[in-house]
Amino acid sequence: MSLKGDSAVDVEVAGIEHIDGLYSYAVVLTRNRSEAEDLVQETYVRAIGAMGRLRAGSNVKSWMFTILRNIWLNQLRRQRVAQFVEIDGEESTTEIAETGKNPYEMYVSRMETEQVREAIRQLPVEFREIILLREFEELSYQEIATILDCPAGTVMSRLSRARAKLRTLLSPTLIASDSDRKEVSE
Amino acid sequence: MNVCDEQSSNILLYLDNELSGQELEDFRAHLAGCPACKAQLAEENELSALLHRARPLYSAPEELRARVSATQQVPLFGSASERLRKRVVRLLKMPLGGIQSPASPLRALAAVLLIVAGVFLLSRFDRHARATAYVDAALATHRSYLDGALPLEIRSDSPQTVTSWFAGKVPFDFRLPASQSLPDDGQAAYRQVGARLVSFRGSYAALVTYAMKKDQISLLVASTNSAPSFGGQEIRSGALTFHCHSKAGFNVITWSNHGLTYALVSPEHSSARQSCLVCHQNMADKNNFQEQ
Repeated sequence: MSLKGDSAVDVEVAGIEHIDGLYSYAVVLTRNRSEAEDLVQETYVRAIGAMGRLRAGSNVKSWMFTILRNIWLNQLRRQRVAQFVEIDGEESTTEIAETGKNPYEMYVSRMETEQVREAIRQLPVEFREIILLREFEELSYQEIATILDCPAGTVMSRLSRARAKLRTLLSPTLIASDSDRKEVSE
Repeated sequence: MNVCDEQSSNILLYLDNELSGQELEDFRAHLAGCPACKAQLAEENELSALLHRARPLYSAPEELRARVSATQQVPLFGSASERLRKRVVRLLKMPLGGIQSPASPLRALAAVLLIVAGVFLLSRFDRHARATAYVDAALATHRSYLDGALPLEIRSDSPQTVTSWFAGKVPFDFRLPASQSLPDDGQAAYRQVGARLVSFRGSYAALVTYAMKKDQISLLVASTNSAPSFGGQEIRSGALTFHCHSKAGFNVITWSNHGLTYALVSPEHSSARQSCLVCHQNMADKNNFQEQ
């Protein structure tokens, strides 16, 4: 009787559904795809090691984002040159799977995504990460506060400033998408 | 600080679903009569919609997925049923001294039967809990959409356009329900309005909205792995089984097909069959719905 085989079959790869979010967070923190990949892999390795300490009903997603951030902070402390990390030149090439879209839709979508990425890249790291956690991962203020190890009030004020800065950076895109919509509706 | 300034600071909280109770009611009341706050909310919504259209910000490369999968040869986050299964494994692997005694075979058999029954019941309970959570998520999403807290990221009455838009954005092969056969009288009972991504169980699900003459309905689509269809009143239509739930003034109908689970939320009607006919009342298959 092969019980090991039975239990392995229907257990999904743990936390794999968060891999895009974790990878995005890692890219936002490191601004380097290669480092981001290593960071994500290390996060999963640590998560496996710490699984025994995870309480039932824990928020796995927040927990994994916290692990990733802690690893990154430790790396920063070791490197002490984090502020001089080069921006990976390959970042401008989008890898989003867009099968099924017509060429124009793909073009518009890619342009818009690239403009969003570029705007986020220009933000300070504390703004980049809070925008990622809230707008892309839709974590609650309390979950973000736990990950960032700060009060929820700080999350609110930082998010507000980050959005204001991002809106300024993205204003040409917002105007363009608004006029596109008007043209469509007309 | 005047009243509007004070409420203005609540705009982000409202947008991020961080207001509740009296604060939420007060803000909604203020919003109804304050053009400045309405305009600011629209601006914030516009920025959020732009950011959401760019999701996921980056996609993990396939190589990385493979490397992560390779590191996970053991189950990590066990559900209750998984933990029970592990206990069963441990129990069955234990060198039970009693098994060698003359009276033990019956006891061992009884124990195994009890364990099998327990696993079956727990598995069923787990499935039911996840199905209920999906119904609740669909209902909460629909209400947020009606409240204006979930602006659409794409507006289109074309199913093909919406299907294309979801490609690569959701962690499954998005398909609209296949039973959208042409109405037999040429008049569509509903009109597709648009769609957006929504969070579900730490990942993304697809929300598609429709408008009827008076009502708005929404369709939440997720993978069957994360959202089984179960419970409620069952209605059969061909090979599909629809599960109909009535909650808080709405009907939520769920069904699974080809690895996707759909949850249709509509205003409450007098029976589940009528609710199914929200979409099928003018269709050729309208007589296919039989209540069980």
